[in-house]
Amino acid sequence: MQRFLDPAVLGGISGLDLVAKTVVDGFVAGLHRSPDFGFSQEFAEYRAYSPGDDLRHVDWNVFARTERAYLKRYRGETNTLLTVLLDASSSMSYSSHKVTKMDYARFIAASLFYLTTQTQRDAAGLIVFDDEVRSYIRASTRQGQLHRLLSSLENATPHARTDYAKPMLHFQNFLRKRGMVVVISDFFESPATIVQTIEPLRYHGNEVVLFHVLDPQELKPQLDEPVLLIDMETQESLEVTPEYGYEEYRTKVESHINQLKDRARGAGMDYHLLVTDRPLDGALRQYLTLRQGRY
Amino acid sequence: MGFLAPWFLAGAVAAGLPVYLHLLRRHRTTPLPFSSLMFFERRTQSSIKHRRLRYLLLLAFRLAVILLLALAFANPFIERSAASISGEKLNLLVIDDSFSMRAGTRLADAKREAQAFLDTRKPSERAQVMELGSQVHVLTEPTQDPGVLRSAVSSIQPGDTRASFGELAGTLRSMAETVHTPIELHLFSDVQRSAMPGSFAEMALPGNVSLVLHPEASSPEPNWTVESVSAPGEVFDPKKSRVQAVISGYHTPAAKRTVSLVVNGKPIATQTVDVPADGRATVEFSSLDVPYGLTRCEVRIDSADSLPADNASLFAVKRSDPRKVLFVYESNDTRSPLYFRAALTSAAESAFNLETVTVDRVANAQPTGHDFVVLSDVASLPSSFENALTNYVKAGGSVFIAAGTSAAHHPRIPLFGDTITDSRYYSREGSRFQTVGETDPSYPSLGKANRWAGVKFYFAVRVAGTDARVAARLTDQTPLLLEKKLGEGRVLLFTSGLDNLTNDFPLHSVFIPFIDQTARYLSGMETRAGSRIVDSFLELRTAKEQSVGVEVVDPDGKRPLSLKEASTAQSFQLTRAGFYQLRLANGREDLVGVNADRRESDLDVIPKDVLALWTGDTGKEAQEASSGTVAQDQRKPYSLWWYAVLLLLVAAIAESLLSSQYLAMSREEP
Repeated sequence: MQRFLDPAVLGGISGLDLVAKTVVDGFVAGLHRSPDFGFSQEFAEYRAYSPGDDLRHVDWNVFARTERAYLKRYRGETNTLLTVLLDASSSMSYSSHKVTKMDYARFIAASLFYLTTQTQRDAAGLIVFDDEVRSYIRASTRQGQLHRLLSSLENATPHARTDYAKPMLHFQNFLRKRGMVVVISDFFESPATIVQTIEPLRYHGNEVVLFHVLDPQELKPQLDEPVLLIDMETQESLEVTPEYGYEEYRTKVESHINQLKDRARGAGMDYHLLVTDRPLDGALRQYLTLRQGRY
Repeated sequence: MGFLAPWFLAGAVAAGLPVYLHLLRRHRTTPLPFSSLMFFERRTQSSIKHRRLRYLLLLAFRLAVILLLALAFANPFIERSAASISGEKLNLLVIDDSFSMRAGTRLADAKREAQAFLDTRKPSERAQVMELGSQVHVLTEPTQDPGVLRSAVSSIQPGDTRASFGELAGTLRSMAETVHTPIELHLFSDVQRSAMPGSFAEMALPGNVSLVLHPEASSPEPNWTVESVSAPGEVFDPKKSRVQAVISGYHTPAAKRTVSLVVNGKPIATQTVDVPADGRATVEFSSLDVPYGLTRCEVRIDSADSLPADNASLFAVKRSDPRKVLFVYESNDTRSPLYFRAALTSAAESAFNLETVTVDRVANAQPTGHDFVVLSDVASLPSSFENALTNYVKAGGSVFIAAGTSAAHHPRIPLFGDTITDSRYYSREGSRFQTVGETDPSYPSLGKANRWAGVKFYFAVRVAGTDARVAARLTDQTPLLLEKKLGEGRVLLFTSGLDNLTNDFPLHSVFIPFIDQTARYLSGMETRAGSRIVDSFLELRTAKEQSVGVEVVDPDGKRPLSLKEASTAQSFQLTRAGFYQLRLANGREDLVGVNADRRESDLDVIPKDVLALWTGDTGKEAQEASSGTVAQDQRKPYSLWWYAVLLLLVAAIAESLLSSQYLAMSREEP
């Protein structure tokens, strides 16, 4: 089942709902062998019955022995609210192989939505942004929510530049309930600006996770000869030598990642680097770890 | 500046290849979209420029490699005047001390002229002294010290070797491979014609050597000499030994010469001979009465020329008793002893005394005391004699068996032991006769007996299961001559007869050398040479006689071999004329008379035009050269090949380092 988490395999599947189901099912099947992570059907605690509780959850075996009614509670039964902020700027369309960063981000978002709405029965919402908010779906558990989310994801095509200020302000205006906020982006901005812009989300008691999506070529560019690089957002061009790509560029990218990670964690946010040629389970595992902590 | 092979410069066209690769092909860059240029900086542009500069440096090295390669093949040179490089000049003084320089005062004159040249030499110029004989001997290293040079010239003594200008030129060619400075060769010699090699090309001097001749003779001088002496090395019967001498005159008028045969310093015979003008005459002494043992002899003519050293020819003889040979034959066979005796007498200079005995009387004969025994077509032997003969062979004696028709009546060859499997009567067969098919020329009996064509064999026996060495076979592969070791001795089997019935071998000339060599081989007698010429080599030991000491005493009574050489040296070069006393590794004492090469007696000089050709000058320059002056403004090509190759090496190393650095940059770690 693990191969269904491979982005190259997922790229060949049409339809985000099928992708999400494949990923989550494969991921859940893999979890059966792992005791570290919780799941919605896992037993959490007993609670004394109070009038109005659903009788289906009463443990009748305990009642038979003790003549007292107790409810079995499961971990998955804690409700939370997930909102995904998806960066749809032009830089997200970059790819050095079959799967673009945008595709990868879609797979993650779809998988999270599927996991949240279908398995956890939590509310999920989506904001697609670049330098404007392009699409907004309020978090909800209504019937058909998953379908709306997935079609919004499919319609999100990368263009324009990234500007974190507007979407974050917009999001703060709409966000009224506590929950989890997942920001999926390539974060081509200074770490200070990113954290400064996103940090206010924490003030409402939200758990904020930054999924940093990068292409392997962006981490370690392999240039055989001097090339003329064109910025996909600004259309600027620059001639670059292979030596620069091997030495200074890598140092700068590593420094950028480390700074972003440190600042994000310093601001109480979680950070996770996702490389588009690696399986998606890292992101899902990260989500569930946080989800487990919200009982 | 010029080029010895200018057409190789066309290879410089290949320089276009790196130009194409670096300047034209490199600019084909395609734009590449990238997500963000956030981590790229403007200053990378300067990196590109820097890289371009380094690429240009690499291009320059690659161009230099190709151009220098073409230049090295084209072999560039510049012409430098001899005057400009005179400070590096080496004066090489070569003084001829060959045998002909003993004539008159030639050697003394040559040494005096060499000393005079050293006096007039510039003190800053280096000089070196060598002596020329059959080989070139270096007497000093290149030096400016006049004392060393003068003492080297003074130490040169007259030699007995033969000069060789080819050897001199060869030495200079070897020298020029390491010495690249100009060499001025001053040759003090009688420029004898006989010193020239067979081909004039062998006298060619290298480009940096200029020859200045100091001839000690300008015209041929008359000279008589004892050209050769033919005398036996070993004398068995003084009355039958003859000495023959050839008296030669070079550039001489017709004259009577008195020729003496001198034994141990005393003339024992004298004759007068008419030597024609510029010709030769033969003198023969009919007896050589010498005492037993080794004797010093010489043939001498009266002295009447400027080179008295060649008026005597030395040789040594050894007086011995004849060796005894026992010849056993059937009483009805009268032919084989006749032919065998005739061959032995005519060939071996009465060295053997043949005792013949028939089979029916051989019971009383004793093989011991004879050098070897011959069994000629013997059917059977008395058992007592056969036993005695077996013991004789096992103790080191030798037997020669000829198996004719009588021997074939019995199933076994006596003493040889092998059974007779077949008797081939070729005269009764279709082929009528057989000839010799193959011979082993390394076998001692067959060394000089190599004319077997026409010898017809009508009968031969075949022996079976033999482990003997086969030295000759007939054309039908029947072994003709076999040898078998028996104890310390050896047995030879000739599978046909010696009687002129089973073959016509005794009637052919090859019969005499065959019997002679077989007799010498079986008796252990070696052919002795009483005289040799200077520079020849004397064999001191055979391969079986290692680590046995030898002794050589030269004409001055000195021992030229060191102790180590005396136990290890295989041969010894005779460098002086006179008598050498030897004790060889086999324990035998010997005496050898050594004479100078008689080509040195011809005092004819090399024609002037040939000398002018050798010195490289013609006309007036040749006259100047012969008078000892050197052309001052001579320009010589100076090759720059080494410099081109050196630069090529440097450029290639730099290119390799630079390109490997780039290669390391573009190699991505996993």
